[in-house]
Amino acid sequence: MSMPAGAGTVRNRRRHVLDLDDFSAQEIEEILETAVSMKEVLGRAIKQVPTLRGKTIVNMFFEESTRTRISFELAGRALSANVVNFTARGSSVEKGESLVDTVRTLQALGADILVMRHSESGAPYLAAQYFRGSVINAGDGRHAHPTQALLDLFTVRQRLGRIEGLKVVIVGDILHSRVARSNLWGFTRMGASVTLCAPRTLLGPESFWKATWPNLTITSNLDECIKDADVIMTLRLQKERMEAGLLPSLREYSRFFAVTAERVARAAPHCLVMHPGPMNEGVEIMPDVAVSAQSVIEEQVANGVAVRMALLYRLSGE
Amino acid sequence: MRYLIKNGSIIDPARRVATIGNVLVEDGKVVHVIDLADLTATPEPLDEQTEVINARGAVIAPGFLDLHAHVREPGDEHKETIETATKAAAAGGFTTLCVMPDTRPAIDCAAVVRQVREIARRRGLVRIEPIGAITVGRAGQTLTEMAELVEAGCVGFSDEGNAVADSAVMRNALAYAAMLDVPIMAHCEDTRLTRGWGMHDGAVSIRLGLPGYPAAAEEAMVARDIALAEMTGAHLHICHVSTAGSVALIRAAKARGVRVTAEVTPHHLTLTDRWVLGNLDLLRGEGKSAQRGGRDRADINDEGLDLPSRLRPTLLPPYHTSTRVRPPLRTEQDIEALIEGLRDGTIDAIASDHEPQSAVDKECEYRLAAPGISSLETALGLALTLVHRGKLDLVDLVAKFTEGPATVLGRAPATLRPGSPADIVIFDPDSPWTVDPAKFFSKGRNTPLAGQRLKGQVMLTMCRGQIVFRRGNFGVGTGALQQASRLEGILGGENEE
Repeated sequence: MSMPAGAGTVRNRRRHVLDLDDFSAQEIEEILETAVSMKEVLGRAIKQVPTLRGKTIVNMFFEESTRTRISFELAGRALSANVVNFTARGSSVEKGESLVDTVRTLQALGADILVMRHSESGAPYLAAQYFRGSVINAGDGRHAHPTQALLDLFTVRQRLGRIEGLKVVIVGDILHSRVARSNLWGFTRMGASVTLCAPRTLLGPESFWKATWPNLTITSNLDECIKDADVIMTLRLQKERMEAGLLPSLREYSRFFAVTAERVARAAPHCLVMHPGPMNEGVEIMPDVAVSAQSVIEEQVANGVAVRMALLYRLSGE
Repeated sequence: MRYLIKNGSIIDPARRVATIGNVLVEDGKVVHVIDLADLTATPEPLDEQTEVINARGAVIAPGFLDLHAHVREPGDEHKETIETATKAAAAGGFTTLCVMPDTRPAIDCAAVVRQVREIARRRGLVRIEPIGAITVGRAGQTLTEMAELVEAGCVGFSDEGNAVADSAVMRNALAYAAMLDVPIMAHCEDTRLTRGWGMHDGAVSIRLGLPGYPAAAEEAMVARDIALAEMTGAHLHICHVSTAGSVALIRAAKARGVRVTAEVTPHHLTLTDRWVLGNLDLLRGEGKSAQRGGRDRADINDEGLDLPSRLRPTLLPPYHTSTRVRPPLRTEQDIEALIEGLRDGTIDAIASDHEPQSAVDKECEYRLAAPGISSLETALGLALTLVHRGKLDLVDLVAKFTEGPATVLGRAPATLRPGSPADIVIFDPDSPWTVDPAKFFSKGRNTPLAGQRLKGQVMLTMCRGQIVFRRGNFGVGTGALQQASRLEGILGGENEE
């Protein structure tokens, strides 16, 4: 079977995907291009190419995940890799084995690529120090979720034809969100202007953000910043934020920060509504908005497989 | 045994002396000091039993007094023992270590004090002075039997590692300690503001997604403790000051006459939260030649290529747990304020906060790693970067290791005056070296400085008139050929009498 066209002939060797902060605009562009081809593969009757035949991918999930884990699994299988799933439950991690020992064990077992989800920010960097193959960060603590950002970029580009010059509003629990941080790298590097919108307790000081992303807009006024937005991305609000006293009530949060039809109506007519999932409908997003014509939430999930295939392909380093 | 230390730059802050001269040591005491500029001085009496130590090009100073070291014994001997800690101390130029009570059991009763002193007597190379716990088990509730602890040898009180959260307990501790005329050495941290902390709360923590330890968590407690010290008239000593705000609070308190003193660590004076950001290039590529990558490093201060006077974090990968310390590494602005605090006397002492950890405690996810830096052996070299950058005078720096900490303990500063105990350090402030934790005497290899070039190291340390550390054949008289090659340049094959 032939490789899909446009799969990138000039590829810089990339070893790990830990965050988007070390991706140039060109590299992101190439991955999104490759993902177009991969999406085409997924539309075929036989959804498989032999790129990673003989390679072993270990999905190492120390934290709950449905869509990311399945998405990586399907992506690996579509590239003919051996995919092994590993969850913290039922493994020796429960017996107190350290992350480093686990990584060494998987190394000894012949893993080529580690796909890693972990509740601690930076855990993939630790794994990368001890693993001779590639590490892909599938979400670490509050820090990064680079493949989510890539699939968000892909979805926006597919729908709106471009990313440069767009106004992207990310609203919700920014402080605790790895999705927000990785999208911040991705969208700003691709030339979009990004606005972060959240209550102050879920945001932190403005200067802390601007030190790294000087062109960012920071606000707590969703009604105001949603005007002319091309993309609205809302984030899951964890119930424990309430318990930690960061918010007075879900009701108040929802009243001022939920993405509602009235608010979306104030954005640009073509504005996309995105959510990385899983959603709390009625809290950060209203059910009617989630299924509206402007919502691309299901497309995000579908595109995730193609984007992850593109990334795995890039790492295969033939 | 008699030693004649010759031709060194004598820095004796207690006597405001900095001159080239000789120091004669006999029976554990300094017996004679000669200023070579003074032509009328009588030469020291020499005999066959006198070992001559040539200290040309090096500084001779009173041995350093460390107000703040964790030696882990009893209880965590796999991390450090009094023996290994005092060896490390000797190599770092310290002749006295005040040891923190966060051992297992805690130093919270006279029996443990006696145990620590007994181990120190038998296996310690330098002097050990125990700090007692403020509260039983360092649990923040019941005051320890402080009077008896002082009687047993405690020189101060601290619940180090734990702040005394209950303000009423802290008030009582200060009042009670005032009666005994010993300092309360406060670890200032509002733990409700630091719950789940990863690193300093700032631009880097936001970028790395690590929960922050705000400057305000320290400053709120510093402010509270100053108010309580003012109220009780007690002597409050603030441990490991790390923020500009704390410096300002202490400065203002001193100005209105509150009995407050403060210490700062070498790492808080020199390293910033950027060190947690590290260098992504180290994880890139196929291992050997890591290429400069696309990571946006514009926000990292790489300007100072004038190594070794300026350190760079580029030897560590991101999230390296060796950078995790409590309080956390702060910002450039905080460093500037801390240095100013040293210069104007707001901060009295440099203390190591030596916190050895085992490899297992550090080889894990960032937030799960035990905080602490093994710092006794790098303290001087790191602190000297301030001198080499022109931020601090060498004599002032020596004072912060000697006179300053003595003042905190309310005692006369160590000096090289004849009749004083021969606790002496000889260091070469310009000698370049590379930090290699594998060569540490401390069991704690946890340092973010591995591989860094520092300028300035201890050559010889004497405690109670005994040589407890000597680098190579430092100072050996006529044996120029035996000298380390670096020293040959300095000594130039000079003939000794």
